[in-house]
Amino acid sequence: MSKQAYTGPLEQIDECCWRIPKDYKIGMRVEGRIFADERLIEQIRADQAPEQVVNVATLPGIQTASLAMPDIHWGYGFCIGGVCATDPAAGGVVSPGGVGYDINCGVRLVRTNLTLDEVRPKVEQLMDRLFRNIPAGVGRSGPYRFESKELMRILHRGVRHLKKKGLATAADLEHTEDGGCLGDAEPEHLSERAMRRGLDQCGTLGAGNHFIEVQVVDKVLDEKSAAAMGLTKDLVCVMIHSGSRGLGYQVCDDSLKKLRNVPARYGIELPDRQLACAPVDSPEGREYLQAMRCAANYAWANRQLLMWQTRQVFAEFFGRSWESLQMDLVYDVAHNIAKMEQHTVGGLLKTLCVHRKGATRSFPAEHPDLPPRYRSVGQPVIIPGDMGTASWVLVGRPASMERSFGSSCHGAGRVMSRKAAVRHAQGRRIDRELAEKGIVTRCRNWKGLAEEQPAAYKDVNVVVDVVDRAGLAKKVARLRPIGVVKG
Amino acid sequence: MYEIFDHTADLGLRIRAGELNDLFEEAARAIFSVIVTNVGEIRPDEKVQLRVEAEGREELLHDWLAELLYIFHTKHMVFSQFTAEVGRANVIGTATGEPIDPARHEIDAEIKAITYHGLKVEHDKAGWLAEVIVDV
Repeated sequence: MSKQAYTGPLEQIDECCWRIPKDYKIGMRVEGRIFADERLIEQIRADQAPEQVVNVATLPGIQTASLAMPDIHWGYGFCIGGVCATDPAAGGVVSPGGVGYDINCGVRLVRTNLTLDEVRPKVEQLMDRLFRNIPAGVGRSGPYRFESKELMRILHRGVRHLKKKGLATAADLEHTEDGGCLGDAEPEHLSERAMRRGLDQCGTLGAGNHFIEVQVVDKVLDEKSAAAMGLTKDLVCVMIHSGSRGLGYQVCDDSLKKLRNVPARYGIELPDRQLACAPVDSPEGREYLQAMRCAANYAWANRQLLMWQTRQVFAEFFGRSWESLQMDLVYDVAHNIAKMEQHTVGGLLKTLCVHRKGATRSFPAEHPDLPPRYRSVGQPVIIPGDMGTASWVLVGRPASMERSFGSSCHGAGRVMSRKAAVRHAQGRRIDRELAEKGIVTRCRNWKGLAEEQPAAYKDVNVVVDVVDRAGLAKKVARLRPIGVVKG
Repeated sequence: MYEIFDHTADLGLRIRAGELNDLFEEAARAIFSVIVTNVGEIRPDEKVQLRVEAEGREELLHDWLAELLYIFHTKHMVFSQFTAEVGRANVIGTATGEPIDPARHEIDAEIKAITYHGLKVEHDKAGWLAEVIVDV
């Protein structure tokens, strides 16, 4: 199954949304909708991602439409950038493929009170220190070892357990999606393999597209929201992108195996085995969700420990405590997850299972799930871009509840396969190219850097522009990287 | 033999062999060639026994490769030699290699998982063909 262009229908509904009609393929229960504009839609046609939107539209109980964000690209099963809400009361299913292997992969943004002028002269040494002290790359263990009893508590309670251990503050919890803990998590459902993989990896970055970036706020577009987040122009921040590590991959793999024969048992026909699923309201569906929540809690604990190590590195490096550097967590968002949420469909309030596979929750102001600090501005939506361009902070807007089950994009979205990216980088030194732009990189191998080079991604500014124009989220500030640690 | 084919987010592997057993061995080699840049440096010091059970050839290939990946991730070992005997509902085999030595092995990519998307094991006139997309 090599890369092929999508040749099916794509009808423009408005300036930022395209439709794949329900009658395009037999079995579609709803239409497909892709948020994009003319600049992006040609790239989107270049691979099979729209066909994956179609496949998801066949899932039982799917509501309104099978959705994709402007950073959509070809994934496995679901497209990356996909959003699918199913209604358990209407036979709605949950699919591990709608969450992905890296359960609760996500990003968090930490501010500081340091300015660009204070950090720039020392950024090389700072990045050396971060690279040395924070475990990154394949197969690296972290400084935190948890015995299985303690691991169970993390799986149950997420960041709440770390607070008890003095590794998180009340403010950290409050500014993490769901307070860093999903309830109804059941570690009993995790295999011994998953548990074993979790013991020494909490607080490690991993490899691939995971990173820690030192960034500077380079543009503020919404002063009020930026103020609520403590962001001003030229302020230095840290962005952390990681997930649930080997434990999450194992939970997904185990679940897919358990679900191999389940769709047939419930009479569900699937166009792709990777969409294996079970009704939310079934023993198999409940078991997956309870296991997935454990991995999600682990991922939040992982990002918390990555942030904690970052605070320690900064404190040591700048000779001040992290509190006096005001290294507050702005917010932490999950972008690979399935959650039970309340949404209005056709005038009726329903509890739905919302899958976000490479999509970010984007709740508007006054949503009851938001912490007091963001109640009047909306939930911070953190969008990492590629390492040479920019990342963005937005806030959720009311239209996201009407149009996308409270969701927005999650990143720039790849356009180039990893293989093509490496080819594209032949004879070039990506680290030097970035250095010329004032970005210091620390990475274990050049190929990893080549795979993640800016040209491999869509223009994040365009992606963010579309979600802003579509009313899903509103631009608050743009951040520019000055230092990158890659796994 | 194997080749890498383009997949936007992940990595596709296309493997060909005359016999089914060879196909599974070759697929294992392909996985470790993606993980380690210099597979030639892997010394055949330790042999690990493997056994997986599943229904269907594609499921067997998935589980065989997932098992190897699990050993890589948890025992921190890399392998370069494989034997596989593919039965109707199981694969019995070995992997020979050594623990990762960062001084000698260039670890290149973290394969998170073997996906089912586009997973294929087929036989035609030319022999056996497998396609597998891995999550990196």
